This record gives sequence, structure tokens and C-alpha cells, in this order.
Amino acid sequence: MLFTSLEFFVFLPLALLLFAALPVGKRWVWLLLASYAFYGALRPFNLVFLGAVTLFIWGCGAALQRATGERSRRLLLAAGLVVVIGSLFAFKFYDFIAGELERLAGEAFGTGSAISLPRLAITTPVGYSFYAFSAVSYLIDIFSRRLPGQQSAGQVALYLAWFPKILAGPIDRATNFLPQVCAGLRADPDRLVLGLQLIGWGLIKKVVIADNLAPLVDKIFGIAAFASPIDLLISVYFFAFQIYCDFSGYTDIAIGVSLLFGLQLMENFRRPYLSRSTAEFWGQRWHISLGRWFRDYLYIPLGGGRAGPVRQYLNLMLVFVASGLWHAGLGYGVGWTFLVWGALNGGYQWAGLATRAFWSRVGARLPRVSNSLPLLVLRVLLTFHLIAITWVFFRARSLGDAWLILKKIALNSIEIPSLLSRFPFTAEHYTAFALIAFLIGVEIVDERRSIFQRLAAAPVMVRWGIWYLAIFALLILGRWQAREFIYMQF
Amino acid sequence: MRRLVKSALLFIAIGLAIYAGVYYAAEQLMYRTGRSNPFLKIAVAQESEVDWLVLGASHAMPLDFAGFNAHMQSETGLRILNLAAPGTGPLYNRFVLEHFLRTHRARNVLYVVDSFAFYSRSWNEERFADSKLLRRTPFEPAIARRLWAYARDEGVDPRAVLDYVSGFSKINNRERFERDIWEGERQFDRVYPPSASAVKKRIAYLYPDQTPAAALSRYVEEFSTLVATARRAGASVVVIKMPTPPQYRSQLPDETAFDQAISRLLAARDLSFYDLSQTLSDSRFYFDTDHLNRTGVTEFFARDLKPILVSAIGN
Repeated sequence: MLFTSLEFFVFLPLALLLFAALPVGKRWVWLLLASYAFYGALRPFNLVFLGAVTLFIWGCGAALQRATGERSRRLLLAAGLVVVIGSLFAFKFYDFIAGELERLAGEAFGTGSAISLPRLAITTPVGYSFYAFSAVSYLIDIFSRRLPGQQSAGQVALYLAWFPKILAGPIDRATNFLPQVCAGLRADPDRLVLGLQLIGWGLIKKVVIADNLAPLVDKIFGIAAFASPIDLLISVYFFAFQIYCDFSGYTDIAIGVSLLFGLQLMENFRRPYLSRSTAEFWGQRWHISLGRWFRDYLYIPLGGGRAGPVRQYLNLMLVFVASGLWHAGLGYGVGWTFLVWGALNGGYQWAGLATRAFWSRVGARLPRVSNSLPLLVLRVLLTFHLIAITWVFFRARSLGDAWLILKKIALNSIEIPSLLSRFPFTAEHYTAFALIAFLIGVEIVDERRSIFQRLAAAPVMVRWGIWYLAIFALLILGRWQAREFIYMQF
Repeated sequence: MRRLVKSALLFIAIGLAIYAGVYYAAEQLMYRTGRSNPFLKIAVAQESEVDWLVLGASHAMPLDFAGFNAHMQSETGLRILNLAAPGTGPLYNRFVLEHFLRTHRARNVLYVVDSFAFYSRSWNEERFADSKLLRRTPFEPAIARRLWAYARDEGVDPRAVLDYVSGFSKINNRERFERDIWEGERQFDRVYPPSASAVKKRIAYLYPDQTPAAALSRYVEEFSTLVATARRAGASVVVIKMPTPPQYRSQLPDETAFDQAISRLLAARDLSFYDLSQTLSDSRFYFDTDHLNRTGVTEFFARDLKPILVSAIGN
């Protein structure tokens, strides 16, 4: 069941009605059942994986809370992590690695001596990357005593299976989620209105913006070798906005739906393309729940920036390469492109770290210049373009394709203005440009003060007018033909 | 809370009023840009009786491309209405025929059979929910009622009824300002160089479920009901197979089983059947892997179809 499907628009009100009818203390049981129904509707067999992970994690967590010796606690944590991360790794990479080994052996020793490795051939349960990471955070938080008390198996099951977030996040923490469930879930009118607004805005980003950009992007990335430099350049820009609107649209809906049930999930996106540096992009604005997960469960345990500059650089690169590996297996296939994508982003962080002191000195000497609007705009544009380059590796079918796309654009960059004037722009292009301009406008306004706050303070005529515009934009311009969310395919 | 509920109800009421306005505008626009949808053709048909009603899937559609139907009418002096629609099997065509017969009359029905349309739900039950067909179908309570009956009795997805009644596909139509011309008609004058791989892909597309015997018997039964419906309304039925290129024909899976099943039905019902699939073998007669182009239709009409149309009327 997708957030954009008719089934979901029937499921959600029914789930809400029953939720409201039940006593506060029992509501989480209904939400657990609804979450399993939602997840099982995609593929009933998925429930087997989810159930197995839940039982295992809950058992591990309960044993961790009872264990007193440090050695046994460490052993329990290690066992939990090996099973969850090991299964995630096996699902994602085993078949790909087996194929690559066979290919390499064939190249090295000739086809006659090629090895043949068995395959798992298992379809990874949808959303597994997300609830596996939630499971890991649950275990580590119990181990580090950030999550006190004994959790019931049912509430842990709800934490992992919570239907708005199970498919594509945000990767919420048990420390945020479980106390809300234990305290009893209550919906109030303010949260209801905010939730509905978030759902509406998420749907606009997904079905109006992302899904209108998708066909243009798919077409050109599918024929990268034959596409013109302008086509490629436009597609790279379009993809940057497609993936943002697709993913942040999903999480807006997830957060909005959770609010309807009185649950506040963590923020996942904060107008990322207005970042002034790639460090700000990754640290504070893009996929915040994943960034913080890597920070808290990998970067800091590895020593972070406390173990000297060499270790800090190494840790940074490790985090981004791991992030690249996590992203592999996306709908665009498992491949080396994700490793390069991660390493490139890691490289940006290196460059940022190496020049940080220099820029601080420049800022101190020239405060008026460093805070001026033109420089701010320049920094935002530069950051956007650096990130857009990494998206080429993310989206391309192979490293060769990614390299070809970047090369074609770079080699023709001088001629691009003249090529642009002769480019046969279509109505779809103009629609896409208009939608992107609209998005940027909204984000700039939202950056100064939340649009939802502005709406709440606006006269009812204005507020309702904007809501009607949003609803009819969805009806008239939306592409509702059940296109999956990109990040669901992990 | 009571105030919130009152506000919500008022918001919904205003929203529904705007929706009704948008729906009306979409319906009017559909009438202005529509052309090839069978229900639209019925709605705008100027005559209540025709000599020939053409039914079938896309292979029958070139007979109405680029004014060819008018050419056939002037050549034969007969009134012909072509209600074929792309990818539609006997169930959808029965639906079209029943609606046609509610307000119109046909003396003869020319049904163009294609085996693929008898082997899959994709070309029958699932076609009813296709937004490309729904967005060009005018709203009429009679169609809505019939569609609901098909959802109840024939396994059509109830979401198709909801879509049709709410006009969602019409409001959400991305091609709302474009003239409703099937992509094949734009290539009507093209000559297509034969391609084995294209034929293979086309066959895989047309037979998504391969050739299950159960589906064949189910849709032959539907076809039989269609024939009975036509006959009850006083129309005689003629069944033909349109010409197809040899490369395409040779790849059709289990065509013999289909031919036998259809022949049995037609013999039992004493119907005329003309297998014209092998009459035009040259690739210059086709605009793609399996559809006749202008030259092909002209040749086919003059040589094979015209005598059938005229002789049936003579009888």
C-alpha cells in the first residue's frame, strides 16, 4: 500500500476512526495491528522477516537489560548487531559480490576456469534497511542505558513496524518513539491540522513535482550515450529535485500521518538545497535521521574528531563510504556507483574540514563580505552543484555512464549558452521548470519563517484558499499512477 | 471540537462545489478534444441506426484513421460506425455494444477478432480501469450503472466505477488540451521495416499470461454472449481476422487452439467468419509490427472488406 494509492486513503481514515474510538491505553495495540496490515499488504511474506527481527531484537534488548556483567552485555550487543547488520549486508550485497567474483575469476583465469557461486536470490523485504537501522539504534540505546526500563514486546514491535515510517523512514529513535507510546497516544486539533498540512505538502512534492520530473529524468539517463549535453545537464538538475521531492515528500507524509495519531517523529529534511556548505547539507539538512544515526552509532564510537586529525579524516570517509553502501541496492541497482557517491561526499567533507580554519580567518577579517547576500547565494549555488555532481553517480546505471554524463557536460560547458537557445524545450520542460521555481520560492519563504506558522496566523480566507489550491493542484497536476517512492526500494 | 467539525464540514462543502465546477469544465474539454473513444462516438453519433458497427481491438482501428471510415461509407453507400478501442477484448466490446444498443440500432456487426484479446484479463476486466479510456468517456448515468453491474457481476475493479463517477481521470488528464488521437493514427502513413526483436517484444506484451486454456474458454463465452446480444437486437454478426505480416503471424502463440475455439463457436451459431490474416504479406502495408497503414487499409478495403460489407447488406 503506497501513500499515494486509493487503498491508503481508505485505510488511513479507518485507522484513525478506530484509534479515536479506543481507550488511550489500548490505542498502541490497534496501531500495531494496522501497521502489520499495512506492511503485509505489500507482500505478506515480508511480515515473516519483520516478525523475526522484532522477536530477536526484543529478546536481545530484554537480555541486555537483565545482564549485569559488562562482558555478557557486550556479547549480547555484538550478537544482535551481527545478526541485523549481517542480514542487511547479505540481502543487499551477497548476490552482487558473488556475481562480481565470478566475473573477476572469469577475466583472470578464462571462462573455462570460471567459478560458480550459489546465490541467495531473496527479494529484500521492502523497507528492511530502515527498520534494521531502527533495530540497531534500539539495541545500542539499551546497551548505553539511554533507554531505561523494560519495553513490552508489543511496543517494540510497534516501534519497528510503525506504518508511516517503515518503508522509508525517518529512522526515528526508540528514545523518542517509545516514551510517547508509553505515555498514551492522544490526537489534538493542532496536531491534526499540522499533520494534514504536512501530508498535503508531502503529496505535492511527490506526485506533483517528483513524479512530473521522473519521466524526463528516466528518459535521458536511460540513453546517456546518445543524449545531448543540454539534455544531460537538464536531467541532472531535474534529478536533484526529483530525489529531494520524492524522499522528503515521503517523510513529510510519514511525519504528518504520525501527528494525526499523536506521535511526533523526528525531522528528516530542512530545505537542504539552501545549504551553504556540503557539511551543512549532510549534517543539518538532508536525511537528518540517517546522518544522526551515522554520527551517533558510527562516527562517535569510532572516535569522531577526538582522536586526532588523521583519525577524524578516516572516520569521516568511513561514515560516507558506509552511507554509500547503505544506499546501494536502491531501485537503480547495486553497483560501484554508490561507493563512489559515498567517497565523493566524504571527499567534500575532507575539503571542507581542511579549509575550515582558512575560511574562518577570512570571515573574521571580512565580516561584511562573508555575510553578504551575493556571497551567500554563491555559496548556496556552489553547494547545490557539488551535490548535483554526486547525484549523477547515484542515478547513473554504471560508473561508465556517470563518467560519460559528467564528461559530456564538462566538455561542452562553453557552448551550453548557445546550445540552450536552440534547444527544443517542450511543455513538459516548462512545467518542470515552473514546479522547481515554485518549490524554491516556497523553501526560501519557509527558511525565514515556517510556512505552516504563517498559515496558522493568516486570515481564514487566505488559509482556505491556499488549501484549495493545494488540493486542486494535486488533483489536476498530480501523477497518481502508483509510482513507488525511490527510497522505498532499499 | 464542535467548532472544528463545523469548519471542516463547511470546508468540504465548498471543496465539493469547486470540484463540481472543475468536473464540468473537464467534461466540456473532453467533448472538445475527444475523437476516438467509443462512448464519445456513440454520444455524438448523428444517426440512430447504422448498417455496420465495427467492434474489436486496435487492429480494427485503422479502418477509422484519417477519415478512412468516411471513404468506406462513400464507396459503399453504407453507414458505418467504428467503435473499436485499443487493447480491448470481448468483455469490453460487449460493454460498448450493450450501451450502443440502448439508444441506437445496427443492422450488422463486424467483429475483428484477435487471439491475444481472448487470453488475458489485461485486455478485458482490467481495461475498464484504464485511465486513458476513462478520461475520454463522457459521463452518463447509464454508463455508470452498467459499469457498476460489470463490477458486480464480471469481476471489473470497482475502482473503475469510482474513477468514472468521480471523473478523476478526466480532471487529472495530462493530455487534456490535446486532441484524442491514438498514437497509431499519427503513424498511419508510415512504412515499417520488419524487425524480429520488435515482433518478439510486441508478442510478449500482447500475451502477458501466455495462452491459458481457462482464459480462452472464459472469453470465448463472453464473445458468445456478445453475439447473442447483437442478434437479440436484430443485428447479424460477421467475424473477421485482419491482415497481419507473416513475421508477426508466425510468432503468435497457440493460434491454432484459438482458431479452433472460435470456429467451433461460429459454426454452432451459424456465423460468417473470414480469416483474412494472410491476405497482405508485404511489409509496405504496415505502419508497425502488426497494424495496417494507409496503403494497407486501402488495399484491404478494396480487395477484401468492401465485398463483405456490401454483400451482407444485399442479403
